Amino acid sequence: MGLFRFERRTRGGFIYMYLAKLWGRLFFGPKVTEPAETFLGDKNDELEKAGEELAAVVKDLYGGRSLRIRAVDGGSTNAEEIELTALGNAYYDIERFGLSFVAAPRHADMLFVTGPVTRNLERAVKTTYEAAPHPCIVVAVGDGACTGGIWNGSYAVVGAVENVIPVHVKIPGDPPTPADIIRGVLHALKNRN
Amino acid sequence: MNPFILTAIQAVTVLALAPFATGLVRWCKARLQGRKGASPLLPYVSYATLLKKEMVISPVASWVFHVAPFVVLASSVFATLALPLVASDGAFAGLGNFILIASTLSLGSVFLVLGGLDPGSAFGGMGSSRELTLAALVEPSVIAVFAAFSVVSGGSTVSQMLAAAGMGVLAHPGLFLTLIGFVFVLLAENARYPVDNPATHLELTMVHEAMVLEYSGPYLAMLEYASSLKLTLFSLLLANFVLPAPLASTGAGPAMALAAVLGAVAKVGVAAALLALLESSMAKMRFYRMQEYMTIAFLAAFGGLVLVLV
Amino acid sequence: MPFMLSGITISLIGVLVAGALPLVWRNLAGHRAAQAVLAIAAACGAFASIAFLAAGTGPSTVFAPASIPALRFEINGLSAVFLAIVNAVACLCAIFAFRYVEKYRQVYDMPSLDLGVALFIFGMQAVLLSTSVISFMLFWEMMSLSSFVLVMADRQAASRKAALLYFGMAQFGAAAILAGFFLISGGKPLADFAAIAGMAAALPPAKITLAFILFFLGFGSKAGLVPLHIWLPEAHPQAPSHVSALMSSAMLKIAVYGFLLATTSLLPPLASGFGLSVVIVGLVTAVFGIVHASVEHDIKRAIAWHSIENLGLIFAMLGISMFAARNGMPLLSEIGLAAALFHAINHAIFKSGLFLSTGVIMSQIHTRDIEEMGGMAKRMPYFTAAICALTLSGAALPPFGTFYDEWLFVQGLVGHLAGSGPIVLAVLLSTLAVVAFCGGLAVFAMTKLFALPCLGQPRSEEAAHMKEPPASMNGPILFFAAAGLLAGVFSARILRTIGFADLIHADTFLSVATPKGSVAPMAAFALMAAVILGLVAARRVLGQRRIRTYHTWDCGQPITPRMEYTATAFSAPIRFFFRSIVGIRKTVVVTQTGSGPLLVKREMTLTGRSFWLSRVYEPLALAMHKLGDNARRIQSGSIQLYLLFILIALGATLLIAV
Repeated sequence: MGLFRFERRTRGGFIYMYLAKLWGRLFFGPKVTEPAETFLGDKNDELEKAGEELAAVVKDLYGGRSLRIRAVDGGSTNAEEIELTALGNAYYDIERFGLSFVAAPRHADMLFVTGPVTRNLERAVKTTYEAAPHPCIVVAVGDGACTGGIWNGSYAVVGAVENVIPVHVKIPGDPPTPADIIRGVLHALKNRN
Repeated sequence: MNPFILTAIQAVTVLALAPFATGLVRWCKARLQGRKGASPLLPYVSYATLLKKEMVISPVASWVFHVAPFVVLASSVFATLALPLVASDGAFAGLGNFILIASTLSLGSVFLVLGGLDPGSAFGGMGSSRELTLAALVEPSVIAVFAAFSVVSGGSTVSQMLAAAGMGVLAHPGLFLTLIGFVFVLLAENARYPVDNPATHLELTMVHEAMVLEYSGPYLAMLEYASSLKLTLFSLLLANFVLPAPLASTGAGPAMALAAVLGAVAKVGVAAALLALLESSMAKMRFYRMQEYMTIAFLAAFGGLVLVLV
Repeated sequence: MPFMLSGITISLIGVLVAGALPLVWRNLAGHRAAQAVLAIAAACGAFASIAFLAAGTGPSTVFAPASIPALRFEINGLSAVFLAIVNAVACLCAIFAFRYVEKYRQVYDMPSLDLGVALFIFGMQAVLLSTSVISFMLFWEMMSLSSFVLVMADRQAASRKAALLYFGMAQFGAAAILAGFFLISGGKPLADFAAIAGMAAALPPAKITLAFILFFLGFGSKAGLVPLHIWLPEAHPQAPSHVSALMSSAMLKIAVYGFLLATTSLLPPLASGFGLSVVIVGLVTAVFGIVHASVEHDIKRAIAWHSIENLGLIFAMLGISMFAARNGMPLLSEIGLAAALFHAINHAIFKSGLFLSTGVIMSQIHTRDIEEMGGMAKRMPYFTAAICALTLSGAALPPFGTFYDEWLFVQGLVGHLAGSGPIVLAVLLSTLAVVAFCGGLAVFAMTKLFALPCLGQPRSEEAAHMKEPPASMNGPILFFAAAGLLAGVFSARILRTIGFADLIHADTFLSVATPKGSVAPMAAFALMAAVILGLVAARRVLGQRRIRTYHTWDCGQPITPRMEYTATAFSAPIRFFFRSIVGIRKTVVVTQTGSGPLLVKREMTLTGRSFWLSRVYEPLALAMHKLGDNARRIQSGSIQLYLLFILIALGATLLIAV
């Protein structure tokens, strides 16, 4: 409904009114969100610490805090994808550690592969790895990607991502939480050093 | 001061500032979304990282793919050297004729489009078709915007336009419309909202990003840097039209040059913050409604031109 | 300057010899000899006309038979510019035809093709040198008729149809021109142009107006101005490619020459309304031409539509020149004329190159459809580099020559905005807007023309096996590409050399233009080149240089050429935005293919209906048809009735005579 009204208003030429109202609410209106400390407690510190450390390691590895990630779905249940999406929201905000998702493997430094690689997507996983410029770190996200999970041995899947492309990091969990993912990336990068 | 030194100061300032502008827009947008966001200095690191990576190039790609990044970047660098961004009368100010600059930037767009089409990917074709359509339709607005400044100032290079006295919006209220037209042009030329979503990962909505999907490593760094540079130079140009000071000139001393450099940094900061605010407040337009956007842009620019003439 | 004049005479004779040679030797050797003679003769003519321009002498008689004074040939500054264009294009087309026509030995009748080309070129040269009505019209018809025959050289039904359409329009145009000449000369076919100009000065304004309309219709139909353009996108593509190049780059310019001749040397100074009408027609033509060129996916038709746009622009420039002259803006008047002439030169350069390139492409893949091409840049780098330069030149981008003429014109318009009256202002502003619009779309059309055939994967089996053409075919194309670039770099020098056709005072014009912003083309080019070289050097020093080859990123499913963006898809936004101009309708046919209701096959077809064809020409044809039908009623077959008609006719004749 709200969207619909906005559409009508902009068509009617009231976009400046709309902008004025929006900015008024944004800058002068009451705060509707709680400060992070009230509901996070010390849980946040852990994440923060892992993130800071990750940033430092990325800096060592690439000479700076920039790591571009391409996510590849190898036939997952999409549980992992939801967690990966959560990495970008205001709570986890992966960007502040210098990590970002990109639109093509050509731009990527790191691949996140999810799901037990199904036979249909085996080629996709392989070509995405080949298409990315090397050095490229491959992270298997979730139980399916690490071991094949409950689908292991099925005729429809190839199994763990390892069976298709070299894997540098495994992050278990079904699905792993965003904090797990950040920690897993950090751990693996450290070990690689 | 020697005009060559002035041009050097300007080139170094703008070239060094370019990644910061992109990073700053992203950072401001993150702040407006309630996120902490990546450091505004991240693009420097990203480009440096890309320079060190290998390139993966499709066997379908021809010589055009290799030529494109150089021409795209060169067109932006050319404009950086010729336009009065930090220094009002650099060594190449005579080449700052608005038609020459607009066409040189068009040349860059054309090569970006060619580079997008060359590897034969459907995404590249889609992005290229859209980018070229936008570049074609925005051309009349560009000419109208600068024609208005040219009429008011009586000069044809951008330096002459800035140097002319009584150029302010107060003296010529018509220029206000021209400036609005210029903002429309800026948004369209730099693939920002509401024309394009610079942060999208959805190929169907991409314009600029879709064309560079096949580029990797140093070439990608060059193309991304070129788009940062273009954004910086448009922001500085807009800021200079609003406030043509402080600019270093041949008559000024080192203190003035320093003030001009700091002024440029401040202008880029303000422009980036405003851009982020604008982008956070509106939705991207459907591509097939771009004719409306372009019509408004043209009417604004042309209206400004008519107003300053009558 | 006898050596220049004899150079032109040699070129005239050489062209005729080249036409006669294949009639003597009706084999391959005859063709080769003819093309060699033609190339040398045309080169002589081109150098002679350029030397004539550079020397800057006044009108000189080339050839004057004592017995027939109407056949006196004379060269002056204006005709020398066009003579240089015709000869240079003819020379390179002859070199191109050397091998090109050989490939089509089965399709064309070589001796008649070569004869036709020679007569065509001779006709154009002679029109430019003519000094009397009869010789002008005679050689004009020679040019029209020989090109009419050349259009249907492959003797296919489509070509014959296009040629007949062309023939009709050409004859209509010629009739209008002849009527225009007769109107001012009082029906004297042998009248000298100088004499005609004298007579025109004494004519009443109504007659001047009528004569102008007739000339505009006649030369406009040859130049492909809307609404008399419909023959152009049909006829140019059907001709052999080197003939298309000649028609587009040389013949259309003859129309421009004719128009200039009529308006500047024959008719007395015209009121500003005439200039305005030329501007309007020119701009409408440019818009129609460029929108169609953007959406067209037949490569030769797209180029032909682009020619229409360019001719529209040239006429708009000429119109502004005429308009400005009567409104107290002598500088703008000269700028308009200079831009038009320089644009004519640049258009000749890049358009010949583009049409010759289509010859190379079609000789290998035998289709004009861009959807069947692709991937040429990978297979023929030199050839595609040339096309790239030619299309950039066509898109009026720096540092190519076309950019500088459009720059000159736009700069001239902008410089004259301030302080002009409301009507002048309205004209200048709308011209500025439309020219900028066309400039933007020209970038689209030309980039598409290069990108879709040359980049990506080949979309057909034939396209996958394309090879670089032989040097004699590649050479002229590369030459045109380089010429387009040089025309840009040395544009100031060229403007001064043609400086100008006795009509423009180059020195005043260049110096007055300076405060309004003169760009040193050489400096701009040098800076751009320096920046690019600097970047290349920086790239060599900085950054990773390892390159790995891996196929285009395909999202996991192998990419086929069918997945690429097609030319139709590429221009879809333009087609959508300008659907009222393009007039393309989409029809989707859904047919059931399986048992369920969801298993259907959809076929989409885009059908183009030209606005002018459906709204102007077809109703006209229908009306003619109806008139014919009605006229049939009096054809009753009864001899008494016919005798009555004869009687009435006799009576009427006597009545008029008495």
